[in-house]
Amino acid sequence: MQISINNNTYAAFEGETVLDVAKRNGIYIPTLCYHVKTGQSAKCRACIVSVEGMRGFQTSCNLNVREGMLVQTETKEVIDTQKQIVDLMLASGYHNCLACERSGSCELQDVCYHLGIEKTSFKDAPTGIKDESSEFIVIDYDKCISCGRCVAVCNNNVVNEVLGFGYRGKQTTIMCDNNIPMGDSSCVQCGECVQICPTGALTDKKSRGKGRFAQFEKVDTTCPYCGVGCQLTLHVDRAKNKVVRVTGRDVWPNNGMLCVKGRYGFEFHASPKRLQYPLIKRNGKHERASWDEALDYIVDRTRTITAQYGPDVFSALGSGRITNENNYAIQKFTRGVIKTNNIDHCARTCHAPTVAGLAHAFGSGAATNSIDEILETELIFVIGSNMTEAHPVVSYYVKKAAKNGAKLIVCDPRKVDIAHWSDLFVQLRVGTDVPFLNGLINEIFKNGWHDEAFMKNNTENPDDIKKWVADYPIEKASLLCGVPEEMMRKVAQMLGEAKKVSIIYCLGITEHTTGTDNVKTLANLQMVLGHLGKRGCGVNPLRGQNNVQGACDMGALPNVYHNYQSVTDEKVIVKMEKDWGISGLSRKEGYKLPTMLHKARSGETKILFCVGDNTVQTEPNTAKTIKEIEALEFLVVVDIFPNMTTEYADVILPDVCFNEDEGTYSNLDRRVQFLRKAVEAPGEARPTWWIMQELGKRMGVDLGFQSAKATWEDMRRTGTIMGGITYERIQTNGLQWPCPTVEHPGTPILHLNGKFTRGLGLFSKTNYRPQAELPDAEYPFILSTGRRLWHYHTGTQTRNSIGLENIFPEELLEISPYDAKIMKVKTGDMVKATSRRGTITLKAWVTDRSPAGVTWCAFHFREAHANVLTIDAYDDVTETPEYKACAIKIEKVSEGEPVVSRGFRQARP
Amino acid sequence: MSTPEKCLCGNDDEAGLIERLEEIIITLKEKPGALIPVLQATQSLFGYIPNEAILKISEILNEPLSKIFGVITFYSFFSLKPRGKYLIRVCMGTACYVQGANEVLTALKQQLSIDIGETTEDKIFTLDIGRCFGACGLAPIIMVNDDVHQWIKSSDVAKIIKNYRRQEQPKTTEVL
Ligand code: SF4
Ligand code: SF4
Ligand code: SF4
Ligand code: FES
Ligand code: FES
Repeated sequence: MQISINNNTYAAFEGETVLDVAKRNGIYIPTLCYHVKTGQSAKCRACIVSVEGMRGFQTSCNLNVREGMLVQTETKEVIDTQKQIVDLMLASGYHNCLACERSGSCELQDVCYHLGIEKTSFKDAPTGIKDESSEFIVIDYDKCISCGRCVAVCNNNVVNEVLGFGYRGKQTTIMCDNNIPMGDSSCVQCGECVQICPTGALTDKKSRGKGRFAQFEKVDTTCPYCGVGCQLTLHVDRAKNKVVRVTGRDVWPNNGMLCVKGRYGFEFHASPKRLQYPLIKRNGKHERASWDEALDYIVDRTRTITAQYGPDVFSALGSGRITNENNYAIQKFTRGVIKTNNIDHCARTCHAPTVAGLAHAFGSGAATNSIDEILETELIFVIGSNMTEAHPVVSYYVKKAAKNGAKLIVCDPRKVDIAHWSDLFVQLRVGTDVPFLNGLINEIFKNGWHDEAFMKNNTENPDDIKKWVADYPIEKASLLCGVPEEMMRKVAQMLGEAKKVSIIYCLGITEHTTGTDNVKTLANLQMVLGHLGKRGCGVNPLRGQNNVQGACDMGALPNVYHNYQSVTDEKVIVKMEKDWGISGLSRKEGYKLPTMLHKARSGETKILFCVGDNTVQTEPNTAKTIKEIEALEFLVVVDIFPNMTTEYADVILPDVCFNEDEGTYSNLDRRVQFLRKAVEAPGEARPTWWIMQELGKRMGVDLGFQSAKATWEDMRRTGTIMGGITYERIQTNGLQWPCPTVEHPGTPILHLNGKFTRGLGLFSKTNYRPQAELPDAEYPFILSTGRRLWHYHTGTQTRNSIGLENIFPEELLEISPYDAKIMKVKTGDMVKATSRRGTITLKAWVTDRSPAGVTWCAFHFREAHANVLTIDAYDDVTETPEYKACAIKIEKVSEGEPVVSRGFRQARP
Repeated sequence: MSTPEKCLCGNDDEAGLIERLEEIIITLKEKPGALIPVLQATQSLFGYIPNEAILKISEILNEPLSKIFGVITFYSFFSLKPRGKYLIRVCMGTACYVQGANEVLTALKQQLSIDIGETTEDKIFTLDIGRCFGACGLAPIIMVNDDVHQWIKSSDVAKIIKNYRRQEQPKTTEVL
């Protein structure tokens, strides 16, 4: 259809608003409450236009186009009325732009500029009311124009449901929770409201006074924290070589949204504590050395030791926190120069069962579907994922889907915060996933809810699974997992009757001695339901760290080269030897991480080359890990901060961090995303690929790593599923593998139409096995571990950024109200938690997140971290430790300050 | 003698009332749009909506605090502060203002020792102001619950208050 705006004719489409058409054609209409992300609200009336044949003025942001409409946007009457409207708006607050953070990037200012308003013609009435109580956000009520955008995003986009409008008429005001200060409220400081506010009413506290928006260089990059891989923009102060602000980019996977770490945890890059120079341990002390000295020393020691004992005494660790390029560089060095396959990384401690289990069932060990598809599904089945804390932006999508009508089932031994948004919260016992899921599958068969056709056409052994789960009638399963039969039936029915089911899981599934079985059982369930290879379905592990998917993709694993090409497949080996120009690559699989460490004590591992992996703090049973590390002959650590592991290192090399070099990360939906250099690295810090190149050179091999890009290209030559991903293609948006050729558009959904990567899907037999260490009279509590919203890994990044530590300053032991009452412990009391392996002393947090008998803490704080207590019992297939279950006892040490409850708060007491 | 029913005079201890509220919320919980009836029940149970009740309602109905607070402050039926038995509203419309409403208001504040929006300690009076009551011919006006008092002078205030308060005195006919 056609409409006329200001006497010109424009094409318009059904369902569009007048504002849409105007915008598309470059006609400016002032808008304040409307935003693409929050939609129409017709509150501010700044966008009025006049339409022939309609009385008065119309708000263009919610005025649908009609054929032949005659619209005027700039007549004197329209402009005068807009002026009046904005004038009144100014008068009801106090808009002195001189010292306002947003001056120059304020939409209200733009509107005034357009209308020619210098100041309000009324008397403005500053109240001076500001809320500065929260760590990262300032609310200046005098600058709020009640447009409602912040309320809309907080409730509908990030769905944290903190902000609302209170009172009526002229008194209407935004407020947090029940009108309490933001710092006391349930706000998780995600900053989405700040990003969407058109004025200076909501601003980032930490960038106040640091300069105006336009002053800074904007560098688009990828978040260095979790596996969601949010796209963000760093606002960089060139002169100071510092990031001063972070904003979310409106592209996939996050659509502008971020969490508190991504938005406010950025100062670590400029921390004075960063490692800046190579250090060599001499007489028990780390002393500064030159790069040549350090590298020569490493080569010398490595040569001597491997010459005497063979290449397999060398082991290397890549990392889920460093780039693809750097992981590739380490594996190529280890395999090509040292000639051993002893290379692994921290996926061993988290999602190795995913890689093994899903590869076994489907042929590919990664998430089958994409994050955004969550919004299209009918039922979301979440198991073993504390997503609001560990993968916050994924949780926003899940909450949004649930709010829009999708059903949400949350299964977890702990009442994780996402359970508050669920239709059904299923509290199963720790470590009983196999009987629980098998019981569900059994019930699904019993009622004929399974997808017979899918099983028959797309799987290899459909008859087996029926037989196998026959051992798990719901009565028995219910007894084992502690979920009432009625509830299990309900879950089975919901799963069976939904037309689209997306299964999302995380470390609650994998970090068990039965980790691989747990994953296989989930794969069984989804193959029985037939929800694979379609949009909005699938089996979706939430990969933990920013690049743990990538470290696997790059072959920082003992059994595969990059892109999962087997190290025992002669064809592959020959291909690598040819391309790399290296002969004699090792033909046998390397050691997995725990084995590397065990073998240190028997003298079979003598050198550990460890990049970005704080092994001492992250492996279970710290006392044992330390003994193993001490037994090494030579330890090299490459990292950005000193940590518990660098203390034991013979050589420490300073690495660059996420914004000091280019490169790529692969996120949890297999999306390879670009990282840009934004600042200069401190001191003499160097990228890992450079270190590998230099070491290779000294050992007579040119590995071909002249830059991050050259390293990527080196990978691509022999790459398969990632062969078509080039830096040029991912400048604005990432690409999802498989992407074998440069013409390939990438693959959002694996196993399309049920055609599995391995051909037919494979059911596996799984049986209940209890956790390795069950509670007993002496150690009566189960300890489960995990991650907190406010911190990341061993805290080096989050604790060296300003503010996160103020919100969550120390680790807390979560104890159920039931147990707390018996032990007379309140939140804030000091308690001693002891397992057979060690003791930590920390404060208690009495919370119904924990069921009776179960306690929980994280490993972020070296002063009191979970791994002192955790058990070195491993999944038999992948050697992933059972971080989710060990036995402890608790003693109260001293009373603490009583803590007042302010209602439900996410992620903290 | 049977034990008397718990009364609604507001002297019942709040912990007991919260327990009762909990039961009410649970019975109303499954109904769609339960929030408004729950808030109405709370208002009549406590005479106002205490913070503790808001937290309870949020927990059991699983509704965001901000939504509940928004509803409470939107409808004038709900009150966040305890209200007295008598709500005194002083008209501050133009006609009343010109005829000395402000002096009347000041006198009321002094007599009751409270400010606008507050309630006397004995929970008998709450003071509030309003815009034109639509009876400007009688200005200045105050309303005490539904009673209209017209052509008020600040010197009348003490007497009016005394009259209402007298109705509240416990009858001392019983021999102790
Ligand atoms: S704080 Fe900002 S976004 Fe929120 S209502 Fe006020 S002006 Fe709008
Ligand atoms: S920071 Fe996030 S959670 Fe907090 S009020 Fe803003 S949008 Fe809501
Ligand atoms: S959700 Fe993950 S990727 Fe996104 S901002 Fe937070 S930590 Fe970064
Ligand atoms: S932008 Fe249209 S009413 Fe606010
Ligand atoms: S001004 Fe008071 S009744 Fe109209």
